[in-house]
Amino acid sequence: MSRSENLYHHSVVTLLLIILLLPLAATLVYAFSSQWGSTILPEGFTLKWMAQLWQDPRFLVALGHSLLICFAALLLALVLVLPLMFVIAYYFPQLDSVMNVLILLPFAVPPVVSSVGLLQLYSDGPLALTGTPWILIGCYFTIALPFIYRAITNNMQAIHLRDLMDAAQLLGASTWRAAWLVVLPNLRKGCTIAILLSFSFLIGEFVFANLLVGNRFETLQVYLYNSRNGSGHFTSALVISYFFVVLLLTLVANAVSRDKE
Amino acid sequence: MSYLSVKQLNKHYGATQIFENIDFSADEGEFVTLLGPSGCGKSTLLRCLAGLTPVDSGQILLQGVDLVPLSPQQRGIGMVFQSYALFPNMSVNDNVAFGLKMQKQSASEILRRVNDALALVELNEFAHRYPHQLSGGQCQRVALARSLVTRPRLLLLDEPLSALDARIRKHLRDQIRRIQQELRLTAIFVTHDQEEALTLSDRVVLMNKGKIVQNSSAEMLYTQPVDAFAAGFIGSYNVLDAREAGILTGRTWRGQVAIRPESIVLVPAGEGIDALIVSHSLLGNVIRYRVRTQGVELLVDVLNRSVGDLHPNGVPIGLQLDISTLCEVA
Repeated sequence: MSRSENLYHHSVVTLLLIILLLPLAATLVYAFSSQWGSTILPEGFTLKWMAQLWQDPRFLVALGHSLLICFAALLLALVLVLPLMFVIAYYFPQLDSVMNVLILLPFAVPPVVSSVGLLQLYSDGPLALTGTPWILIGCYFTIALPFIYRAITNNMQAIHLRDLMDAAQLLGASTWRAAWLVVLPNLRKGCTIAILLSFSFLIGEFVFANLLVGNRFETLQVYLYNSRNGSGHFTSALVISYFFVVLLLTLVANAVSRDKE
Repeated sequence: MSYLSVKQLNKHYGATQIFENIDFSADEGEFVTLLGPSGCGKSTLLRCLAGLTPVDSGQILLQGVDLVPLSPQQRGIGMVFQSYALFPNMSVNDNVAFGLKMQKQSASEILRRVNDALALVELNEFAHRYPHQLSGGQCQRVALARSLVTRPRLLLLDEPLSALDARIRKHLRDQIRRIQQELRLTAIFVTHDQEEALTLSDRVVLMNKGKIVQNSSAEMLYTQPVDAFAAGFIGSYNVLDAREAGILTGRTWRGQVAIRPESIVLVPAGEGIDALIVSHSLLGNVIRYRVRTQGVELLVDVLNRSVGDLHPNGVPIGLQLDISTLCEVA
């Protein structure tokens, strides 16, 4: 590669990074500045906004709510979907094409539309769930499905699931023992990716959270929305904290999955 | 009574008959190869022996007991797969120990037998590696050790060499044969490669379209193919129809005639049957000529002794046919 080509490639990548990082960087600086209105650079830096945010019990409760709902939905999804996918891959491979269509349905309907449908269904009758965290967990479960299904299907195809099962059974393992000892440990990579993808998507979800539950079980995004009339510095601190939490969880998940290799 | 005997085995998927009325047997310590083109039902037959695929009807008698109603876990059969099927989350040691752990053997017994099995495939120093740190050939040797450690009554090998490159394939082929003879294992080997089948086997069962075409020793299969399919699949037989064979030999034939390329001798022009060299290709130790005589094209293999022997394209040549090597096929 010539020098000028190299320079060109580097500049394209750098430009892209700047475009992507600039808003985040500005938010970061804004979150830590005491006053940044009529000047080019901030007038001074302060930890005031951060301290105020992390001392606000309402913020901590909202963060707890968000984490609880996301993890509950992901746990539900994994517990239900993993056995289902195993059964489909091993016993009914012809169902895979049906699943591929089914799994895209949550994305086929816009959230505003489907939340109206959910409100209709769960506002009264036998299952009056509207306004409780349960409806959000159920709803997030369906949103997480496509991510989880895709990531785990790819993983299953990569490990020759059928041959592994056959080999384990010929060596004397029962079907469930083989699935537990031989298949499940090898799906860890797919599961990690699935969880990370859907977690970062779910924790930023606003439409369902606002329409289905709103202030009755305030999540992070709804809290952010409710703080929109307060100080811009304060909401910037909130956004940065939210990014920081997601980043932290991603790093932890990566470290855990690399540890066992 | 044979050690293994398969009787009237049938299998179909929907309307497609995979194989029908399969009958064959294997003696104790015999190496039997199921040979055939892809889609002939040989792999499905092997999976049926293992119990991984149910059969429609028929019997699989191993030491006189019918295996058909038994689950794969109860059959006492070892199997090696084309994709190795090693457990990626376990070290070589744990992979090999898996079957013994399932049998709940004691730790000391497991340790001893795993070491023995790894010694057999010469992989002791790799015991703590993981499958992704091994080459394809090493993976397949671990898979072999894993299937042997439980002392199976029957060893099934499903195209175990197909994913490997040529040099490793030959080496592993010899190793499989050596281990099989050392342990006096009864083995059923599936392949579509005729060279593999001929070099490894005591007996070859040639299959086509779900049926057994020929069941005989490797020598018999090579020199006496029963029909045009067998002749075409093994080696590169020249298959002539009755009229062409009549022109060349001056005799009358009833059906098709197969002539092996190496049984035709090239002699100086003017002797034997007049012919013309059309083209030649160098196969290494053998030169394969394409010659034309009286409207018939034939392949002729000649041992590549020296450059001086090479006949250029387009020159006239004589052919000598030994009638006894001709083989009438149905």
